[in-house]
Amino acid sequence: MSVLRDSLAIPEIVAVLTLPPMLMSVIAKTKARFGGRVGPPWLQPYWDLLKLCRKGVVYSRTTTWLFRAGPIVSLAAMLTAATMIPVLSPGTLLGFSGDVIVVAYLFALGRMFTVLAAMDTGSSFEGMGASREVTFGTMSEPALFLSFVVLAIATKHLELGEMVGPRLISVWPSVGPAMLLVVGALMIVLLTETCRIPVDDPATHLELTMIHEVMVLDHGGPDLAFITYGASLKFTLLGALLLHAAIPHPAWLGIADAPLRLLEFGLLAAIVGVIESSMARLRLNRVPLFLAGATVLAGLATVLVLARSHA
Amino acid sequence: MQYPHLLFVAAPLAFALLCLCLPFAWLRMASLVAGALAHLTLVARSWQVPAAPPAAEAYIALDPLGHLFLTLNSVLFLATSVYFVGYHRRKLVSQRVFLACILALLAALSLVAVSQQIGLLWVAMEAASLAATPLIYFRLGPRALEATWKFVLMNSVGIALALLGIFCVAAASGSADEAPISLTVTDLMQNANRLNPVWLRAGFLFALVGFGTKMGLAPLHSWKPDAYGEAPPPVAALLAGGMTLGAFTGILRVVQVCNAAGLATFAGSWLVVFGLLSIAVAAMFVVGNNDYRRLLAYTSVEHMGIMAIGVGLGASGSYAAMLHAMHNTLNKGVLFFLAGFVWRTYHSNQIRDVAGLLHRHPFAGVLFLSGLCATCGLPPFGMFYSELGILFAAARTSHWWVLGLFAFMLSVVFVGVMTAMLPMVFGEPSKPIEAPPAPVPPQRWRGGFMLGAAATLAALAFSLGAYQPAAVKQALDDAASTVNGPLVRVAVTQRPQAEAIP
Amino acid sequence: MNSQTILDGALVLVILLNLAMLAVSRLATCIRLFAMQSLLLALLPPAIESSHGNVPGLHEALVAAGVLGLKVLLIPWVLLRILRTGEIHEEIEPFIGFTASVLVGAALVVGSFAITAHLPLLAEPVSDLLLPVSAATILVGLLILISRVKAVTQVVGFLVMENGIYLFGLMLLKQTPLLVELGILLDLFVGVFIMAIVVYHIRREFDHIDTHLLDTLKDT
Repeated sequence: MSVLRDSLAIPEIVAVLTLPPMLMSVIAKTKARFGGRVGPPWLQPYWDLLKLCRKGVVYSRTTTWLFRAGPIVSLAAMLTAATMIPVLSPGTLLGFSGDVIVVAYLFALGRMFTVLAAMDTGSSFEGMGASREVTFGTMSEPALFLSFVVLAIATKHLELGEMVGPRLISVWPSVGPAMLLVVGALMIVLLTETCRIPVDDPATHLELTMIHEVMVLDHGGPDLAFITYGASLKFTLLGALLLHAAIPHPAWLGIADAPLRLLEFGLLAAIVGVIESSMARLRLNRVPLFLAGATVLAGLATVLVLARSHA
Repeated sequence: MQYPHLLFVAAPLAFALLCLCLPFAWLRMASLVAGALAHLTLVARSWQVPAAPPAAEAYIALDPLGHLFLTLNSVLFLATSVYFVGYHRRKLVSQRVFLACILALLAALSLVAVSQQIGLLWVAMEAASLAATPLIYFRLGPRALEATWKFVLMNSVGIALALLGIFCVAAASGSADEAPISLTVTDLMQNANRLNPVWLRAGFLFALVGFGTKMGLAPLHSWKPDAYGEAPPPVAALLAGGMTLGAFTGILRVVQVCNAAGLATFAGSWLVVFGLLSIAVAAMFVVGNNDYRRLLAYTSVEHMGIMAIGVGLGASGSYAAMLHAMHNTLNKGVLFFLAGFVWRTYHSNQIRDVAGLLHRHPFAGVLFLSGLCATCGLPPFGMFYSELGILFAAARTSHWWVLGLFAFMLSVVFVGVMTAMLPMVFGEPSKPIEAPPAPVPPQRWRGGFMLGAAATLAALAFSLGAYQPAAVKQALDDAASTVNGPLVRVAVTQRPQAEAIP
Repeated sequence: MNSQTILDGALVLVILLNLAMLAVSRLATCIRLFAMQSLLLALLPPAIESSHGNVPGLHEALVAAGVLGLKVLLIPWVLLRILRTGEIHEEIEPFIGFTASVLVGAALVVGSFAITAHLPLLAEPVSDLLLPVSAATILVGLLILISRVKAVTQVVGFLVMENGIYLFGLMLLKQTPLLVELGILLDLFVGVFIMAIVVYHIRREFDHIDTHLLDTLKDT
């Protein structure tokens, strides 16, 4: 069985790398259905990435190397994180005790370089978007960390690959409510980090209302391809964390593990599409309350799990 | 009948129903007075029956503490109902509801006095607050409304915390098997050594804070000046003299349990702390206060503090605390009745508008002066002896700091109250600031009723001050020993340790 | 999913509702969240009984019915009626702000977990979350009471505090006499009724229900 597993590793990596644009497509299709439209073709995001890669780039004279490095570093950070987060199966390429912290900091690294690249342009819109992004990122970090803490205490391991899977199933009954809270917190973090409604509207064209899109206004060509792909990869990775915490798979699933996960990813993307279609964006001064809610949920889960583990 | 003591509750309620139903105003007033009179007769009769210790598991029984407070309440209510005959004007919004609420308050406070189960005591205390709320709002208008809102909110929070305290006490007596917990005081005291001390401490603290809010102990006293300042004076007298006794009963029941469980020092020290804090707060706010009814409210806070300190000092101070409770009821009656008289005469709440009462109405002036002297603790009025008793108790138990602070703050309050209110009595008579709205000739009989009620209470206070007849002394002693155990009079051979009360 | 997990889930939901009440600004939503919380609490006595394996008896049924009738139906109806007669719908930004009060509330919850871990438990409680959740509810109720401006929200804060005390009393359910519990419920109802009447009078007298503006009575 493990030989089968090992031989499936390469296809699995390929699957993980090609999944993100498909998830974006599912979200787009869901939103289109809600709007009574058919929506773009399923493979549209792939064609868009291909088109962007074939385009040329124009760099402003006011920008420095930061502007060119931004997209590259953020994509590299995402790819590195992808090696440490279990996406389709509980195994990871690189795993070591304490890799949760590395993963969190890789997300932060990506965000930092995006923000720096945006501010490098010297434009006021990008600066405004950068400040918002940084604020909301600061407020969602505690929720992410506390969720990791809950998982770590529940499964008594600090390695992401060990925190999920059969070990989590065995502790679910005793820490059930706490895990539900963690799922809620991770959902809010997912919506924040990937700039979905209710935090940010990805379809808006008014710069004053943008948070993430305004930071990438000046990128074009392959840079934009990197950024788009990196954003969808971030969605996949955070969604993977969410799904592993919400629906841990037992060990006896064997080969059916990965396809089931693909199905759940599709379901998650559909749910995000539903959320995006049924809610309006929150007023900007209510977003901190929303994020504080995520922190509070994760904090409550931590307290519950601590109380249980001492009892 | 099985529960004869329930008659104390049922009689006022019956007359309250009459008040709601009778057609004429004077009939309703008569039934108010009749209800209070009936209650006092019942109470007087109960003194002739020899007292029996309350049976275990009895929810309703009359122990010496309850009997004393019941009698005090009864006397105060009768005096207030007589006073009210003279005080009331046509402006009553709903006289039926008002009079019925007064009698309902009496019934609830009687239930507090006779209930031996702390859960029942809580229910009765809450019922008393609810009955008192419409009484405060009687005058309508923004000020009374604000006072009512603060009263309602703070009292509700206080009573909720008291409930938490009762649950903690119940948790302290809980056992592994699910036998029903008996929350009667006798049962709790019998099981005292099996009570969990952590829960009992928590329960005592919550009950002290909760019932202390209703009693008016600092720092939860802030509703008192507003409520006593805006409620009509007879209602303020009832609250100051009657409801505080009820709340004090609640605290004392938990103190009884704590004493039996060996937490006497813990309970005592917290009582002393809250008591000293109350006197300090009263001392701060009495100086320079311009509203005489709010000033009286602060003196009420001070007296509650003194009572708390008395009980907190253990067996030596309990007699003084009971004596103080008795005189507090009588004196507050006198002072608030006179405050109502002043209000009717001068139509102002401010001290600077009132002067020369002695010249305008000599009898009222003398009564007011005697009430002031009694409240400030001048001999030969009873409060002098009770405060002296507490000083001696502090000395006997070597609480020197308590003694010093107590004496100092009492003198500050004395100075504050006297400098504020003596000008009301002496000085050139001032004109009333506005003519009464309707040209009602000053009816002598109204003044007669008001001053007569006040004079009776003042006479009682005076006669029970320097010397108490043996029956009264026995009653006070029994009440004191119910709470803190009998005082063991140790005669030291070098100096005869004279009891403070002559 | 055994009954233990369901009970735990219900108690966690109680905490979440507490924090939600700190976060919402619409008064009607606050009252409805309180009604939802009281519904959870009303269903707890029979649930606890059945988790012990017994059929819920008359005692539990009466208490549950009392809480249901009063706290879930009657009291929210009274409070919503007052809101309907006036034009007040939104809570003013409280003294410490909505976000800060949610964070303070969360800190209070954590604090109550920490403190109650040291309290000795008497009998084996049905769920070890009961004591911390009741302490947290009391503290959050006090927070709402103290930090809010509108009178109706202060009443809701008081009611949440009572919910917490009731939760605490659930531990002693079989052991407190039924009569006392019903008396407590009745007193609570009449108390809130009177509070509602006072709020109604305040609104009629002052045209607002901002209790911070009730400050004429002070010592000169």
